Amino acid sequence: MELDQMEVNTSVEQSEKKPETKPYLTALIGWSLQAIEAAARMERPFVVVGPPEFESYAEKHDIRFVGWDFNKLNEGSDQLYKKLNALGVEVAVPLYEECVEWAGALNARFREEPRIFNRSLLLRDKGMMKRKAQIAGIKVGVFEEAHNKEDIERFLRRVNEALLKIDGDVLDPIHVKPLDKAGSVGHLAIRTVDEIDQINDTDFPLLMESHLDGQEFSVEAFIHKGKVQFLNITEYVRLGYSNFVPASPSLREKRPLIEEAVQQLVDAFEIEYGVIHPEYFITPNGTLHFGEVAARVPGGHIFELIERAYGFSAYEAQILCSDPNTTPEELELFFPNPYDYQGFAGCLMVHPQREYVKDLEVPEELENHSYFEKHDLFTPAQGKVAERIGFGNHYGTIFFFGEDSEEMRHLLKEYEQYDFYV
Amino acid sequence: MPQSTGVIVERFEKALNDLDQAQPFVKSKYQTDVYQEANRLIEMEDGLEHLYKHANQFEQSGVFQDGPWESADKLQPPLVAGSLKAKGLPTIIEVLSELRMLAIAKGDATNPTVSKEMAEEFLNEVMVLNLDILFPDASESSRVEDDSGNSEKAQKLFQFLISHLSSKALVRTLISEIERLTAQRPIMIKRIVSMIQTAKQMTNADSEPEDQEQLQTYIAALEGPSPLSHKYKDLHTYRSQLKDMERNDLISESVSLAKSMRTTGLVAPHHATLIRFLSKRMPGLLTYALGLNSKGLANLEENDELVRQMIKAAIFPATRQAIYGLALMLERGVLSHSPVAPGLRRLIELDIRPEVRKDLYQASQAGEGLTANSILVAGTIQVLGQPLGVGQGFNPTCQAARGISLWAQHAPGFLLEIIPRAARDGDIDFTFEGQAINSQHLSGGLAPNLHTELDPVSLVLVPHLDRIYSEMMSRVALRGDDGHRWVNPAFYGNWVQKGFNSAFDPLTGYVLDYPGFVKLFYATHHPEYNDDYELIYPNPVGIFITNVHGKLLGLHAISITRIAEGPDGEYRVFFYNPNNDGSQNWGQSIEPSVQGNGEEEGESSLPFDEFTSRLYAFHYNPYEQGDAYAVDTAIVNKILTLAKESWGKDYTWV
Repeated sequence: MELDQMEVNTSVEQSEKKPETKPYLTALIGWSLQAIEAAARMERPFVVVGPPEFESYAEKHDIRFVGWDFNKLNEGSDQLYKKLNALGVEVAVPLYEECVEWAGALNARFREEPRIFNRSLLLRDKGMMKRKAQIAGIKVGVFEEAHNKEDIERFLRRVNEALLKIDGDVLDPIHVKPLDKAGSVGHLAIRTVDEIDQINDTDFPLLMESHLDGQEFSVEAFIHKGKVQFLNITEYVRLGYSNFVPASPSLREKRPLIEEAVQQLVDAFEIEYGVIHPEYFITPNGTLHFGEVAARVPGGHIFELIERAYGFSAYEAQILCSDPNTTPEELELFFPNPYDYQGFAGCLMVHPQREYVKDLEVPEELENHSYFEKHDLFTPAQGKVAERIGFGNHYGTIFFFGEDSEEMRHLLKEYEQYDFYV
Repeated sequence: MPQSTGVIVERFEKALNDLDQAQPFVKSKYQTDVYQEANRLIEMEDGLEHLYKHANQFEQSGVFQDGPWESADKLQPPLVAGSLKAKGLPTIIEVLSELRMLAIAKGDATNPTVSKEMAEEFLNEVMVLNLDILFPDASESSRVEDDSGNSEKAQKLFQFLISHLSSKALVRTLISEIERLTAQRPIMIKRIVSMIQTAKQMTNADSEPEDQEQLQTYIAALEGPSPLSHKYKDLHTYRSQLKDMERNDLISESVSLAKSMRTTGLVAPHHATLIRFLSKRMPGLLTYALGLNSKGLANLEENDELVRQMIKAAIFPATRQAIYGLALMLERGVLSHSPVAPGLRRLIELDIRPEVRKDLYQASQAGEGLTANSILVAGTIQVLGQPLGVGQGFNPTCQAARGISLWAQHAPGFLLEIIPRAARDGDIDFTFEGQAINSQHLSGGLAPNLHTELDPVSLVLVPHLDRIYSEMMSRVALRGDDGHRWVNPAFYGNWVQKGFNSAFDPLTGYVLDYPGFVKLFYATHHPEYNDDYELIYPNPVGIFITNVHGKLLGLHAISITRIAEGPDGEYRVFFYNPNNDGSQNWGQSIEPSVQGNGEEEGESSLPFDEFTSRLYAFHYNPYEQGDAYAVDTAIVNKILTLAKESWGKDYTWV
């Protein structure tokens, strides 16, 4: 829809409806069938704000829909608020990385609290995010923003000088990633000066940071009125390939420590509502290093794993926690005790290990393993495999569920090596 | 320990139930699990039976929702094979979709848009189109091409379907398909033969006596249509029987074989034995064995020696179809063109290049002891006898096929010039706007990997012609007008008229002045408006090919052969379609016919206005224009509507 057209529409609707229409609508910002399903199941009136290409689908299935191009930022952006306000929307829930600041801007207007928007921007710039964490006394690695390749080379040298490396030593790697992309999109480890050339000039500005040792895990914290209502720990077996929920006993022991760190993060970032998905590294002696944090649906099928392990829909939880009107009783009733899970739910994301594939081979032992639940791999159309972007666009996922976290870890490791696509 | 069928069935039922319970907009999230479990079942023994038990719920549960298989009434039998070969997801959904159709056909399920009869018809059509899956032949090509386990799934599906469908209806469909195809008298009859064989395997005591009788005609045409050939299937015995026969018996044997050939277009191997025998012993009887009319007989007598030479060189049981070509060639009087006789004689002794020789051998059956020259001469006889039987096979080379057909009709001397150039020299040269184009220096073309199920002449010529045509088109690509304007006269020859009109602008893709386009076509081609100028040479025109729903599939090259009144007195356009399947459904009830409306063998035809609605470019003689202004607005508007609501949806109209 053209902007000027929209103006006409909104003015008509505005005159018909008051902003305080009850019941109010929840706006799902982004496109996720799971989230739409959750909203419908909760019997909440909702509207989806998604990329225009989903409009016909939404229309076909009677989903209230506003088409929006999240990449276009201009003086017309205000139209989205006006339009949603006219519909009676009071809550915006971000689903994708690219929607976080849009939801922030909308919620800032809905609640008349401009700072909400600034806080959401904090979550969209990895450099600002780190700086904020550092100011708040959260332990982070050494980091800097890079604007060109010389910056990276200098940073690599300075970090290694600080580590007292001398000529001929193998350098400690540094990591670079775009400031505003989801998860691992564009993430690169730089080990030598030569590797800097792999980076395109268009990728700048980038965040650079020193390498952090330790076990990596993520937290999904559901926050309401600035308090963590439920905290899940997702254990990474291999970043981007396999993870499981909840954490194994050895990591679970550190739960009090983690809970404390997450609340510290929530306070520092002044996060009031919704879900956050921070990533940490933990050293064997229990030191936590903060990696980064997002405020949206996490990747790696983590929400699905939470549902399998704990029995509640994380999508519903996100919507509940995003709404300031949700009561403590509702939350109390909704979330289980975090130690009270039904088993370990894990998944392995499969991406072909070769450049050209023509068939799928799923071993029978895998399908017959008692932990195996299901997979969504299909024989591929024969052809060249697309390069993996971030850890997205995997070909399919294998889901496991079982009692023992060690067996789970073993399975995930074993089949990560397996060549499913031949 | 492998999981038992029971466990998988349970899991499938659960997945299907979850899908059923899901809200309409979120079906896709649950479909994956259904497809996964269905896939496991398809691979298991009796899995299809288990799946079929739920087939009546597939549609309402949302198994097909939001995908290409969503509307059962929009599915098309010709697309089934592609999905089954695509592997992976498309195969799984296709199998489920067929089971849905079967449930409708058997009355186990109802569908608001597809009736029991429609479903049955659909499945019959699918079976007929996929005979190779149902009865796989052990040919080299099917072995090489099929390295996946998918044909096994497809075979399982088809075996399952056939066990549930009435063989009566299937046989009926097969026979009408055979009728439809033989009516067009293609040179390549492989598909027809395999259909006849299938029908033969499927007929049993239950089959309708009428169908059996009709089918018997076709079977006999292939295996022995005369009492003698029926009795002595073995060619050696048959041949020795011939030696002892009286002249009168030989005549009646000849007449009997010729009659079968003339009714079906199919030739029995015995026929070749007979022709060779007569040519040596009683050449006077050849006219009976070929079933010649008076013109054919005159031509035979005039070229007696050459014909016998060709029989000796080229008519063998393996090349038996060339007998039909020979008969028609004599009746067309082609041998009276002075360059034809020497041209044919040259082929008999031509020094064929090794790679061409190899191609020719590969395309013919092995073990017959034929020389490449025999194959090539037989093929040339066929093309000259059945110019409208030339087909493009599985290649996107309609232009080349159209050229061969056109030259075989009107420039046999030229055709006989380029065949040896390609077969002996590996090169064909054309002059285009004063510059020479040599095919041997060109690469690319539309068909770099030619599918070799082609007649021998096409096999030799198409790789060259295809490259030359492409080269010509690329030389004029930047001229801002449809390149066919210049390329067609240069490629096909000077009898292609220089006037040219196209429905859309090739640079912008905009449709400009469509009513003017329609009127000009009427004024230059329709006898009521064009001052009675007759079409003398075939006109190579371009058409929009649309599918059964009128959706544009692409552009295609055909030739208008003539404009004449059909049996109902309405003017029809008769045309040659090189795809050898001239009666596809083009949507909007536009369905070219291949028989019954005055078509000659190999022609298709459509009412003039319906044809015009699919036309996009044609040649005309600028000096032979009639009265464009006189064309009735109602006619133009009707065509405009047909065009706009079909291919026109993919174009911008200005």
